[in-house]
Amino acid sequence: MNLILKKDHLTDLLNTWRGNHEVYAPQSLQKFTHFLPLLEGSEPVFDQAHNTRIPPKALFLPISEALLKFTRFGGYEQVPSQKAPRLIFGIRPCDARALTLLDTVFKQERYTDPHWQTRRDATVLVGLGCHEPCQTGFCTTVGSGPFDRAGLDAILTDLGEEFLVETLTEKGECLFTQLKRASDEQNARAMDLQQAARESMPTAFEVEGIKQKLDANFASPYWEEISRSCLGCGVCTFLCPTCFCFDIVDEAQRGERVRNWDTCMFRTYSLEASGHNPRPSRVERTRQRLSHKYSYWVDQISQIGCTGCGRCVRYCPVGLDIRAMLRKAQQLPSEVLHAK
Amino acid sequence: MPDIDALKAEAKRILDEGVVEMVIGFRAGDTPLHPQPAFFKTAEEVDALVYDPLCQNNLAAYLTRFPKTQKIGMLVRGCENRSVNALVFEGRHPREALYLIGVPCEGIIDWRRIVENTGEEVISVVEQSGGAILVESKAGSFTFEKSALLHESCSRCIHPNPLSADVVIGEARPEGDPALARKEVVDFAALPMEERNAWFRQEAERCIRCYACREACPMCYCEECFVDHISPRWTESGATPAGMQGWHIVRAFHQTGRCTSCGACERACPMDIKMTYLTEKLNEDMRQKYSFEAGMDAVTPPPFSTITLDDKSRFVI
Repeated sequence: MNLILKKDHLTDLLNTWRGNHEVYAPQSLQKFTHFLPLLEGSEPVFDQAHNTRIPPKALFLPISEALLKFTRFGGYEQVPSQKAPRLIFGIRPCDARALTLLDTVFKQERYTDPHWQTRRDATVLVGLGCHEPCQTGFCTTVGSGPFDRAGLDAILTDLGEEFLVETLTEKGECLFTQLKRASDEQNARAMDLQQAARESMPTAFEVEGIKQKLDANFASPYWEEISRSCLGCGVCTFLCPTCFCFDIVDEAQRGERVRNWDTCMFRTYSLEASGHNPRPSRVERTRQRLSHKYSYWVDQISQIGCTGCGRCVRYCPVGLDIRAMLRKAQQLPSEVLHAK
Repeated sequence: MPDIDALKAEAKRILDEGVVEMVIGFRAGDTPLHPQPAFFKTAEEVDALVYDPLCQNNLAAYLTRFPKTQKIGMLVRGCENRSVNALVFEGRHPREALYLIGVPCEGIIDWRRIVENTGEEVISVVEQSGGAILVESKAGSFTFEKSALLHESCSRCIHPNPLSADVVIGEARPEGDPALARKEVVDFAALPMEERNAWFRQEAERCIRCYACREACPMCYCEECFVDHISPRWTESGATPAGMQGWHIVRAFHQTGRCTSCGACERACPMDIKMTYLTEKLNEDMRQKYSFEAGMDAVTPPPFSTITLDDKSRFVI
């Protein structure tokens, strides 16, 4: 059932939620936006065209987090997972969908990450659809869209003076019990906006058959070509909502075992104890990054591991654009004869 | 604005005549704000060469990737030329195997300054012949004075002209004012310690440890960076205050007498972290205490890279 939330009523509603949740919303800090706890008197910021710079995956898989504490005299204790209820308001559909992809990594039948699990269970996600999709985004190309419902408990459509609220789960319904139903006219207007937003997004590349192209061309000079100007930094992967690699280190002086974000784009990521590195250069590392998203995820869960948020495109220090890389990949031969 | 046709002609000539095997320059980006570093191997490929104020990378960062025997051509602005000099001094590439096409530099535009004013959805950026910058974005059309958009490193640049290029294309620019370069350092030093500390922490602790600053820097070419060293570990590797502060301090210190003030580190940072105030302080110390500026030639040893028998600090000899 669709409801109507008047914008001048939003602050009251956020305050109500703050009574029993820690509420996160995009807010300006320095010159860009982050998902931060919404304190009394602070307002969410939605006027920027693009998304928060750091994806909200960081609220579930923090950039650095202590897993356990130990002392030099023996013994250790696990750091408890955060369990307090949280509400993330204004998460964009690309980032919410990314969380559902990451669930397949962290919530597997046999191996469930307790930190991820408790945070996911304790969090309700209120999404804000993108009625003006950003230029670097390509969500529709990868099977998502500016109003993708995946992973969300409710989704908002901006109708100007008010939001149309579509509740998607029981958790979502419980948040919006006091609101009036949307009229037929409001529903129709929202549908039009959503459709127009979807249709405004060009197809960034042909996604059909991309896995086969990447697989068939594993040994192609293509990888050297597209990685030639790559700096080998971690911007694309750290800002990616679906990248999840981590490294676990012991900070002995502080007595903590810490999990830090790591990335396949770093030399040390695949460096083995013997000194051998199976991905010795940026060529192999770039191949890993693209193939993981567009081939290996497909093998594992039959979904592309990219939600088209466009952060990697926007913030690459040398202007590398994954869309252009994949367009180029589609020009490669489908079958390659390998010399034995 | 450099004469792009003259640049292309020279790049083509050195490829055609076999002076070099490759020319490092820029080509148009896939997005309007980011031209991409490019590696041209044939004269035909050079047709794609672009050179505009959005070309934000220091191309000398690529030099250390190639075999020392490879003959490389490179487009260099003042800072890039100095980086090349510093790298040649450090034995990273023989000067004889380089052909530098110098371009007197009018400064690099910081794309962040554009989007602050035009909104994030930029459609096109055009430099007009008078030097004005015309930006089309979803929010409308905007015209800027280039000086208002320059990256801070470029606003205070002392040496915009290539110093040791094999050919220079374009009119030499007036040298910058060292007093202007010094101003930020002096102003910052005048702040109370608590304020300086608060600023340092605010900037450093935004770090996500992606090392874009390191990878964008021509002088950060170590096979193994100190932060990647396992035994002993020199610093925490996580995004903890100690780890983030440790990275920013030691990164800057390793640049002492080597940094050419290009600002590529800051422009590469996805978190908009200010870093050049640290390296500029070290650069100013080098000027004041040793009358030294990095990369002014390829033969003068940086003060911290040299030992003489009359060194006042006897501990090293």
